[in-house]
Amino acid sequence: MKVLLIEDNERVTQFVLKGLAESGHTADHTPSGRDGMFLAASEPYDAIILDRMLPGDIDGLAIIEALRKAGKRTPILILSALSDVDERIRGLRAGGDDYLTKPFAFGELLARLDALTRRAQAETVQTKLEVADLRVDLLTRRVMRGSRDIALQPREFKLLEYLMRHADQVVTRTMLLENVWDYHFDPQTNLIDVHISKLRQKIDADFERPLLRTVRNAGYTLTSHD
Amino acid sequence: MKALRSSALRLSIGYTCLGLAALALFAAPLWYAWRVTIEDSRMDILQADAQRLTDVFQHDGPEGLRSFIAERIGMQIANERLLLFTDPNLKPLAGNIGAWPANVPVRPGNYTLKLTLDGEPTTVALVHDELAHGYHLLVGRDIAFYVPLERRFWYALIGAVAILLTLGTLGGVLIRRALMARIHVVRATVSAIMQGDLAHRLPTQQMGDELNTLSQSINRMLAQIEQLVHGVRNVSNAIAHDLRTPLTELRVRLEELLLTRPQPEVAFAEIDAAVADVDRVISIFNALLRLAEIDSGMRRSGFITVDLAEVAASAVDFYQPAAELKGSHLQLLRDGPAPVKGDPVLLAQALSNLIDNALKYTPADGHVVVTVTRGADGGVTVTVADSGPGIPEADRAKVIERFYRGDTSRGTPGVGLGLSLVEAIARLHGSSLGLADNGPGLRVSMALGQDTRPIERPAPAAPQRGELQHEPAYL
Repeated sequence: MKVLLIEDNERVTQFVLKGLAESGHTADHTPSGRDGMFLAASEPYDAIILDRMLPGDIDGLAIIEALRKAGKRTPILILSALSDVDERIRGLRAGGDDYLTKPFAFGELLARLDALTRRAQAETVQTKLEVADLRVDLLTRRVMRGSRDIALQPREFKLLEYLMRHADQVVTRTMLLENVWDYHFDPQTNLIDVHISKLRQKIDADFERPLLRTVRNAGYTLTSHD
Repeated sequence: MKALRSSALRLSIGYTCLGLAALALFAAPLWYAWRVTIEDSRMDILQADAQRLTDVFQHDGPEGLRSFIAERIGMQIANERLLLFTDPNLKPLAGNIGAWPANVPVRPGNYTLKLTLDGEPTTVALVHDELAHGYHLLVGRDIAFYVPLERRFWYALIGAVAILLTLGTLGGVLIRRALMARIHVVRATVSAIMQGDLAHRLPTQQMGDELNTLSQSINRMLAQIEQLVHGVRNVSNAIAHDLRTPLTELRVRLEELLLTRPQPEVAFAEIDAAVADVDRVISIFNALLRLAEIDSGMRRSGFITVDLAEVAASAVDFYQPAAELKGSHLQLLRDGPAPVKGDPVLLAQALSNLIDNALKYTPADGHVVVTVTRGADGGVTVTVADSGPGIPEADRAKVIERFYRGDTSRGTPGVGLGLSLVEAIARLHGSSLGLADNGPGLRVSMALGQDTRPIERPAPAAPQRGELQHEPAYL
């Protein structure tokens, strides 16, 4: 994955670039909004990480709007120190795809970046999801592992559906909160872990190969790989 | 000229002028009525008199009239009237005037003129009739009789004006003095407050006037300001305390690492713990920013119709595993949709905070019941009741204060902003938090105003702003 990072803070830049390199991604970087806009418009990137507030020249939101107006559909992840819900809405309305508040954990950034690029690739409508021998039919809402039917509560089904759509990716607790429960705030509990362990009981407990795994310091992933 | 700027003085001058105008408006028609009616009717009476005498003349001839008049004068019926009956040569035949007055024209008509009667000048109203055969009849009246009356009227009027002016001036001065005294008290209080002593209040009476009502309003405002300032002060202290603890731990941890340079595994474990410390600091900051954001009231612009029953259902669903894990019972009671105007994200946060709190303080096998009811007026009340230790009545106001945690809860994780956040959310929605005894336990309720519009979407997990639905692959 090739990423463009537009960020003026040197420390954050080093942190993100190093993390991306370690995860096997390549990245270009510029501290200037003007240069960033030029790069984004001319080079093919898989995703753009953009600081909302850049010194001097151009506002982050203006860059997004300009790119979208020019027909560029590259997924954009906005980084910002502004945590207000209204700021978040403004960012998304301008054409951003996701919004992450500073300070952030690198795992969170990477997981969201993965989700964004994957989404950009597979915009087709799916009715059946499959990971190894776990199958979900979105129309009949039937869940099967191997030849066995698995009964799930509606919310468990939603949770599984989200994990399956992001199979082989890391999804963070915040991503689950936002997308499965629609909770755009920090409930200050570890309840997501409890929900996951309940789901794990149903889909993994009686089977040899666990599919739903915990990723330390980041979140969870549903995968058939080892 | 400074006195002229006093509003009290201007007011009294204004009222005095108004009083004078009213007096003039009252006196002018009276004067006019006096003039018209009295004088006209006076002439009428004289004419009627003259007519009667003329009748006597026609009936009984000159001799009859002469004796009639003489009789009337003799009987003193004539009063203050002037009577004169003359032959065609103006030679008096009868009457109480000795001769034809020089300035009365020898032409029939009504006159008002000055005469000298009995050596005294006076004003007289006269009717002059010419009878058959050239006889003349003069009937008149001395109107000097009315002059003292008129004079008295004018004296009274002038007196009234004088009294009005005196009272007006005096009133103005007194009102100004009273007003200045009260304003002085207000000013003294205000300057005391400006010097930093917020405990001062304006004096008020039980049964007060407008100024008293104003003072009461100002006092309420002062109470509010004092509470806010105290709030800020408490928050600063609380921040200092709540942030200092994790920051101290963090510092100690890092310094120890620096000094001891332990094995990598130990070092990484310590760094992990350090990151957790920082996360704690960040979460306290986020909670405070959230509170500030809610307090600013700006979120009100994003109000939409929210089904509170669905929000509650979602929160109960979210916390169900926590209840199961603890062995307590979490239950939702609802009857149909409960639409309110509000911010879906904040209402969800309020509900989740309340349930989280209730579960935290409820012992194993305890009960937490969330109730959403719709009143007859369409208002929606949501109640979260637990069977925990409850809160003593004296402490109920305190738990809403920022950073307060009941003594029994010290050591329970949490920032201590939970209930105050819920209270701020309730306030933003024009409601307030009611804390009551659940016997045993705590019952927290929040009453929200009705929303008359129907709910647009049947059952979203938690109704949300369209802009936030940025996950089409999932939806």
